[in-house]
Amino acid sequence: MPVNLELARRRFLYQSLTGLGSLALLEQLNRETAAAAALRLPMAPKAPHHSPKVKSCILLTMLGGVSQMDSFDPKPALQRLNNTIMPFSKDNVADQPGLYSKPRKILGSPWAFKKYGQCGRDVSDLFPHTATVVDDLAFVRSIQAENGNHPAAVFSLNTGWTMPGRASMGSWITYGLGSENQNLPGFVVLPDPDSLTFSGSQQWTNSFLPAAYQGTMMRWNGEPIFDLRQPAGVTTEDRTRQMELLRSFNQDHLNGNFANPDLQGRIDAYELAYRMQSEVPSALDLTSESDATREMYGMNLSETESFGTRCLMARRLVERGVRFVQLYTKSQAWDSHGDIRTNHAKVAKETDQPAAALIKDLKRRGLLDSTLVVWMGEFGRTPDAAQTDLSKAGRDHNIRAMTIWFAGGGIKAGVIAGETDDLGNKAVSGIYRMRDVHATILHLMGLNDLQLTYYHLGRNMRLTDTGGRKIESILS
Amino acid sequence: MNRMLALRWILAIALGATCGNAADVFRESLLPVLQTHCAKCHSGNEPGGNLRMETLDHLVGGGKRGPAIVPGNSNESLLIQLVRGEKTPRMPMGGVLPEKVVSDLAVAIDRMDAGKTPTARNPYQAWLFAKPLRPAPPVTRDPQWVKNPIDSFILAQLESKGLQPAPPANRRALIRRVYFDLTGVPPTPEEVEAFTADSSPGAYANLVDRLLADRRYGERWARHWLDLARFAETDGFAVDSERPTAWRYRDYVIRAFRDDKPYDLFIKEQLAGDETKTTGPPKQDRGEKMVALGFLRNGTWLPDANFQTQNRQDFLDDMTATMGSVFLGLTLGCARCHDHKYDPIPQKDYYRLQAFFASTRQAEQPIAFTPEESPASLRRKVRELEDEYDATAELAKSVEAEMKKKFAASKKMKPEDVLPPMLNRAIKDTKSALFTPEERKRFQSTQDSLARIEDALPRYRPVAYAVADVVPPDVPAVQDTHVLLRGELDSKGEKVESGFPRIVLGAERPAEIPFAGARTSGRRNALAEWIASPGNPLTARVMMNRVWQHHFGEGLVRTPSDFGLNGDRTVQPQLLDWLATEFVIQKWSIKAMHRLMLLSATYQQATSHPDDGASAKIDPENRYFWRMNWLRLDAESLRDSVLAMSGKLRPSEGGPGVYFHGNAELAKSFPQFHWFVSGEREQGYRSIYGFQRRSMMMPMFEVFDGANMSETCPRRQTTTVAPQALTLFNGAFVNEHARHLASRIVEFAGPNVDRQIDRAFRVILGRPPTKDQTMNARGFLGKSRPEDGLAQFAMVLLNVNEFFYLE
Repeated sequence: MPVNLELARRRFLYQSLTGLGSLALLEQLNRETAAAAALRLPMAPKAPHHSPKVKSCILLTMLGGVSQMDSFDPKPALQRLNNTIMPFSKDNVADQPGLYSKPRKILGSPWAFKKYGQCGRDVSDLFPHTATVVDDLAFVRSIQAENGNHPAAVFSLNTGWTMPGRASMGSWITYGLGSENQNLPGFVVLPDPDSLTFSGSQQWTNSFLPAAYQGTMMRWNGEPIFDLRQPAGVTTEDRTRQMELLRSFNQDHLNGNFANPDLQGRIDAYELAYRMQSEVPSALDLTSESDATREMYGMNLSETESFGTRCLMARRLVERGVRFVQLYTKSQAWDSHGDIRTNHAKVAKETDQPAAALIKDLKRRGLLDSTLVVWMGEFGRTPDAAQTDLSKAGRDHNIRAMTIWFAGGGIKAGVIAGETDDLGNKAVSGIYRMRDVHATILHLMGLNDLQLTYYHLGRNMRLTDTGGRKIESILS
Repeated sequence: MNRMLALRWILAIALGATCGNAADVFRESLLPVLQTHCAKCHSGNEPGGNLRMETLDHLVGGGKRGPAIVPGNSNESLLIQLVRGEKTPRMPMGGVLPEKVVSDLAVAIDRMDAGKTPTARNPYQAWLFAKPLRPAPPVTRDPQWVKNPIDSFILAQLESKGLQPAPPANRRALIRRVYFDLTGVPPTPEEVEAFTADSSPGAYANLVDRLLADRRYGERWARHWLDLARFAETDGFAVDSERPTAWRYRDYVIRAFRDDKPYDLFIKEQLAGDETKTTGPPKQDRGEKMVALGFLRNGTWLPDANFQTQNRQDFLDDMTATMGSVFLGLTLGCARCHDHKYDPIPQKDYYRLQAFFASTRQAEQPIAFTPEESPASLRRKVRELEDEYDATAELAKSVEAEMKKKFAASKKMKPEDVLPPMLNRAIKDTKSALFTPEERKRFQSTQDSLARIEDALPRYRPVAYAVADVVPPDVPAVQDTHVLLRGELDSKGEKVESGFPRIVLGAERPAEIPFAGARTSGRRNALAEWIASPGNPLTARVMMNRVWQHHFGEGLVRTPSDFGLNGDRTVQPQLLDWLATEFVIQKWSIKAMHRLMLLSATYQQATSHPDDGASAKIDPENRYFWRMNWLRLDAESLRDSVLAMSGKLRPSEGGPGVYFHGNAELAKSFPQFHWFVSGEREQGYRSIYGFQRRSMMMPMFEVFDGANMSETCPRRQTTTVAPQALTLFNGAFVNEHARHLASRIVEFAGPNVDRQIDRAFRVILGRPPTKDQTMNARGFLGKSRPEDGLAQFAMVLLNVNEFFYLE
């Protein structure tokens, strides 16, 4: 029995001694039923805390740090001050002491900005496809990160904590809500298998939450899940007969041991695995999609094939009731201390069209209202460069400002929240942190971040630790 | 969920007066009220009554009428007297604060830590923080059932609850249970038969003694400790660098259990091996103790020059919190940012404990291999590697020269002008026809061999991955320890000295550090001596509970690293105290305590009870042990057992971690790490010898609730998820070994199908099949292909519940 439920129960008993008698008893009985159910089907849908705006969430994780002033936060002052020395202040050195040991030059954006959509949103030439869906997006330009190191910042993005060892957002959400399709994993991770993010599966770990809530990594080429298929040489007919024999032996054993509920749970798990073997390949069978759709996602081009295929997989998974799908770019894809022109152009090319296609595709299928799409990285970048030759210059890590976007149910499309200073160096109004982003996502999915707790190592753990603030101005 | 939260809140309020760091309480609870209602007059250069209210110091320093508050005592606080109207003029001037605001202010002031020694808040805490007294085993109505004092405690409680113990387990179930429990692998069919046939009175005790002396016992029980010690062989985080000699700590733990190292010594070596007095032959003993210090180093580590002070603080926090969880069963980590919300551990005590580590730094200590580490075979291995390297390097050179020539010719340039990157690009370019696939393969394999040996050599360096003490004059001064408000480095509070928790000592006094002035500061030694002393109220109880937990599936306290108020509470405090005191009497011998527990009638009960329903009504969770709990194979036992049954298990002498096949597929996603799969023999080593890379847990272990290597893991989860079925039914490992197992069965049983079926049941489940099962199996095999039918049948048996759950 999960120790958490166990403890909750004990605490109620304790309360009944302190005068909450009958209420506690009732609660205890409720919980025992719930505990038994949770043991049998950990992914069964659970009641949310409040009425949810969306059923599913797709998180497009932009690893490495996207430059805000080259994407969605235009800074005319940068162009004016291009190639001049960055004014030095204590503020600049607070989080990166090493960076300002010598003068640094302001770097104007190599890309032009234009206004798009009815909302007149500024988008740089790097994102021509995203530009076509801006009326469906809400931008937040004032997110601050907790740590300027990639690994720590990615942990913070995923688990709310800069060290390894906490549970990830997808695990928390499936722990809180279960999932709608019992034949597919509730939390699916779609990384670039050739270049996993730092620390790999620790970024989608259930950690202290039960293992049922760990992210399941699916690969876009080759076998999507480890050991999904029968081993070579075992036919479907063989497997059917094996399953029959297994059922019969397990039944013999069960008949002698009714008192152990775990035994039935494990029998159920085998049946589920058996169903997953057929359900997963059909969920991921992209050949059933039209050529037009495949091309919309860029699956026909080598640059966009990987991210595009995974965006399409994400749509098919949420369509089938998967609760949380997380995509990753290649590890550190957007990191561009060196030549940002080449780097950002390349990664934007790989991700812009697929991400925009995902929004369009969800919308035309009527899925955008019940899905939340979030596009974010672990931090932003600096307005200045270390290089003296600006033709090959890059931008460094910046935890004080980054731009992210949201789309889907519950989102006020076409709005902007927060702003940065003239150089885009630092968020100056409407400042939010990772835990606020987490609180916002949980809220839209029907969860209250303060109520979503799990008792571990002496305290009630939360994704947002002591709590986050919803980004109210982007909520419809 | 809502309801639960509400109840938890009520509980928090009922528990009431938790102490809080005065500055935190001021900031969180007082300041907002003062800003709203008082700041208009009581701030700036000419405050009313000469009293400013912007900081805690202002309030305590007071104004014309003396201190505005007395931390910890609202009734004596002028501020409260004035807002209540007990003194005049009533404040705020011309108004009345809402009653709720006034009472919240008073509660907040009462919560302020006035530097008082915390006291037990209830009888449970009073018991927990006092040295265990040795209780007399109670008298039971039925003396027949009692085999040793453990049973007296258990039975007396069962009797008082109207419960009956379950009948004894049958011999087959018992030998399987104790085999898995002590060795992590199943008995062979011959061992099962011999035991079931042996009706002598000492048969079971002999079996227990034999298994306690078995090499495999050390490997099985060391794994439990490595879980606690958050052991891994890499740093974690992005770079996840290897710790080439971390394996020595793993082998140290295996030896410690195998040799029944007294637990007090085991503690002292791991916390202060460099500072404790040596007991054995000095040199060898010292080596062992330095390796033991790996305990303090096992945490995750993010090497980053930019964040050195923060990293140092994280290191201190990791050592302090882990020490608290593992040895004391206290969630000390909770008191890093604020006073512990439930247990009488003020934040200050956390930093007083942390101060014991203030002089500890990370260090790789040059320590020769001890005789137990078989230095001769390690040296032989190094020579082999070096020879292999020389040979391979030569081959690599000639392969490269040949390819260079070919490349140069194709580009019409001189071979000596070909730069390595140019050549590498050409070799990697699979679209070019310049090199044949064979040439490419040969090149890659020589390069891989070199890399593999370069990786391997540092693992044989006689170095202990350990810590050292900062000692003047090498390092001018040990850094002071301060309370860190909210746990943040830039919010330094009061300076503290090393000391033990006040709740145990009954007063605040600095620890005596007898070694002061010696070669090392002796700080950790003082801490270790305190933890490992018979007088410590927690140490022996916590360890006895852990041992009990692994034998019985549940601890007496079910949160084995949290004995605090918010953890589980035992219903057998007397039994726990008896075990703890007995442990000390037995000179901290863990094996002696295993023996006691395993020979008890309590352990030998069946898992089912003739009166299951009625007993479960009285005690649904089996808190009173009216039957034995079901035990489930953990990830390592699962893999090791499959190997044992397929005949592929190979004994290991320890040494550097093995690269199992099981990670090879996953490793393709981590091109930054090498995963050179070890040789065939090593594939048969037990799981504990597998190389532990934090960012790449073996997929099989990940789905079967393997220990999260990032923090101390006091108990494994036991979840049931579909991917487990995929791993066990489709995975390459189990399928491969099912084939080996099938050939072994044929070897033993010959061509007779019924004999094969019988043997398969006996090897995998430790019993013969029933008639129906034989029929069923015969039907299955009749329809199967002769070449792999038996292997497929073995697969089924490896997947049945009866194999995975132990009666």
